[in-house]
Amino acid sequence: MKRKVTISQVVTIAFVAVVMLSCNRVRRSPGRAYMPDMTYSRAYETYYTSTEQLKQKGINYDGTPVSGTIARGDMLFIYPFKNDSVGYAQSGTVHNPLVVDSINMTEAERLYLVNCGICHGPKLDGNGPLWKGGDGPYPVAPKNLMGDDMKVLPEGTMFHSVTYGKGQMGSYASQLNVKQRWEVIAYIKKMQNGAAAKPATVTTDSTATK
Amino acid sequence: MIPCKPTGSKLKIIFLSFFVFSVFQVFAQGDVAAGKAIFNSKCASCHQVLKDGTGPALAGVESRHNWSDHNELLKWVNNPAAYMANDSYTQGLKTKFGSMMTGFADVTLTDIGNVVAYINDAATPKTPTGGSGGGEPQKTTNNALIFGIISLILGIIALILMQVNSNLKKMSDDAEGIVRPEPVPFYRNKIYIALLAIIFFIVGGYLVAKGAIGLGRQKDYQPEQPIFYSHKVHAGINQISCLYCHGGAWDSKHAAIPSVNVCMNCHKAINEYTKGPKLYRENGDEVDGTAEIAKLYKAAGFDPNNPNAWDPSKAQPIEWTKIHNLPDHVYFNHSQHIRAGKVQCQSCHGEITAMDEVKQVADLSMGWCINCHRQTKVDFNYTDSTGNKFYSIYERFHNDIKAGKMDSVTVEHIGGLECQKCHY
Repeated sequence: MKRKVTISQVVTIAFVAVVMLSCNRVRRSPGRAYMPDMTYSRAYETYYTSTEQLKQKGINYDGTPVSGTIARGDMLFIYPFKNDSVGYAQSGTVHNPLVVDSINMTEAERLYLVNCGICHGPKLDGNGPLWKGGDGPYPVAPKNLMGDDMKVLPEGTMFHSVTYGKGQMGSYASQLNVKQRWEVIAYIKKMQNGAAAKPATVTTDSTATK
Repeated sequence: MIPCKPTGSKLKIIFLSFFVFSVFQVFAQGDVAAGKAIFNSKCASCHQVLKDGTGPALAGVESRHNWSDHNELLKWVNNPAAYMANDSYTQGLKTKFGSMMTGFADVTLTDIGNVVAYINDAATPKTPTGGSGGGEPQKTTNNALIFGIISLILGIIALILMQVNSNLKKMSDDAEGIVRPEPVPFYRNKIYIALLAIIFFIVGGYLVAKGAIGLGRQKDYQPEQPIFYSHKVHAGINQISCLYCHGGAWDSKHAAIPSVNVCMNCHKAINEYTKGPKLYRENGDEVDGTAEIAKLYKAAGFDPNNPNAWDPSKAQPIEWTKIHNLPDHVYFNHSQHIRAGKVQCQSCHGEITAMDEVKQVADLSMGWCINCHRQTKVDFNYTDSTGNKFYSIYERFHNDIKAGKMDSVTVEHIGGLECQKCHY
C-alpha cells in the first residue's frame, strides 16, 4: 500500500518534469506535413534556390530581366552617366524628368521616411535614428540635407548619388526604382525650399515606423 | 492630548526651511528633459555618459575636480582655452584624450544645471518597474502547471482515501465478525478499469485530434538562421522601417528578403556591435554581434580593412531559412494586405520589434485567416484622397450604411470568405 503511493509519486514527478521540459523547448524544426509536395512547392519559388544552385542542375536561368526592360509603374528614363568622377561632375546637367507638381508628395514622403529617414532624419537634418546625435550605431554623421551645401546641390547630382551611392552611402537602385528616386529627390528639394515647417512625424503608412 | 501648539515664529521657521529646501531641490535637480536636449545637441558628438569617447565619460562629473561648483564648470565650457591656461586638471585631460574640448560660449548656468541633472539621471541604473509586461504570458503557463499539479495531487489523495476507506471498512468488519467476500484489488475493479478506459479515451482522443490538426502547422517555428540577425536591434531599437528591407511587402505578393547589398547600405560603416544590449540565443548562449557582422562581410566579399576594394557584384546570397510557409494551394498577397488593407506587419508576425530570433507567431491556419476576415473592418471611405476609390463600386453597402442598416463593412462582406479568393 505504502509502496504504491511512492510509485505514483515518482510517476507524477516524472510527468511534471516532462511537461516542464517540453514547455521550454524552442521549436527549431518546422515539423511534418500531410502532403509535403503541396506544402513545399515542387516548382522553384522565390528564394528557394539560387541561380548558382540552378546552374549546377543544368538550368541556365537567372532572374535578370532583359536589358532595357522597364518594370510596371516605373518610367522610361536612361541615366546617361557612369559611376565615376566624370559622371559625378556632369550629373548636374540632368534634370528631373517628372513634372514636379504631378508628384504625389505623400508617397514621396513615405519613400523618404522608409529609405532615407533612418540616417538623414525625418526632418532631413542628418539626425536619423541610426545616428541619434552620436548615440546610434552609425559611426559617421549622415549628411544634413538642410545644410546650405545640400540646398544648392543639383537634383541630377542627387540622382547620381542615390543611384550609385556616395561615400558611406550605398546604392539605392535596388530599393527605389527610377521614378521613385526622382520622387524622393523632388520631395527633398521641396523640403529644402522652405516647406520644412511641416512636422515630418506624420507616418503615411502603417508600417513606416516601429 | 498634546497641549503644545507651535508658536507663530516656529511655524514660520518650519515653513521657511521647507521653502528653502524645495528651492534648493529645484536648483539641484535641474530639468532632465531640457538637459538631455542640450546634451544631445552640444555634447553628444564627443561625450557619452558611461563610456569614454572622444572626451571623458560624464557620469559622476560633479565628483571630479571642482566641478561640483557649476560656475567653474560654466567657465570651462564657455572658454576651455582660457580656463585651461592655469588649471592642471584640464591640461591633464587634454594630454589624456589628445584634443581640447570645443568651447560653447552660448551655454548658460541653467543649461549646465540641466545637463548635469540629465547626466546624473542617465548614470543611475534604472530599476525595472514592477513585474509588468514580459511576466504576463509566463504567469498563465505557470497557472496551468499549478492547476495540473493540484488536480494530480487531489486525484492521488482521493485514491489513497478510497483505499483507506476500504481498509477501515475491512477492519470494522473483522471486529464485528461479519464475513464478506475478499475485496477486489483496485486494478481488477471493473469500475476503476472502466473509468480509466474512459479517461484514456478522452485524453487520447484529444491529443490525437490536436496532433492531427497541428500536423503541417508551424506555429512557434523558430529556426536558427545562418546569421544571428536580431529584428529587435534593427527594427526595434534602431527603428528601421520594416519596408526598408522588406519593401516587396508594399509592392508585391512577397515581402521579399533583402539582398546583401541592402544589409551593406549600413554595414559598410557599422562594422561592430557595441552600443546595443547583449544578444542571446534562445538556448541562452551569448552572441557576439561583431562576429555575426563578419559573417555578412564574408557573404558580401567585403574587407572592412579595405572597404574601397569591395565589388558588390561578387556578393553571394545568404541562405536564410524560411519561417512562414503557406502551401502551394493558398494564395496570399502581402501588398493587398499592407497597402490596400492597411494591416500592420505586427498583426500577423507578432511583436517582431521585440524578437531577437524570429518565430512564427500565428499558426497560419485557415481558421485564423477567416477569423480575421470576419472581424476586420474595411476602411470604406473612398471620397477623399486617403481613401480607396475601388470601394465606390459597393453601392448597396454605402446605401445601407447611410440608411443605418449596417454600421461597418468587414472583409467578409466584400468577399473575404469566398473560397476562390485564396484557393484557385
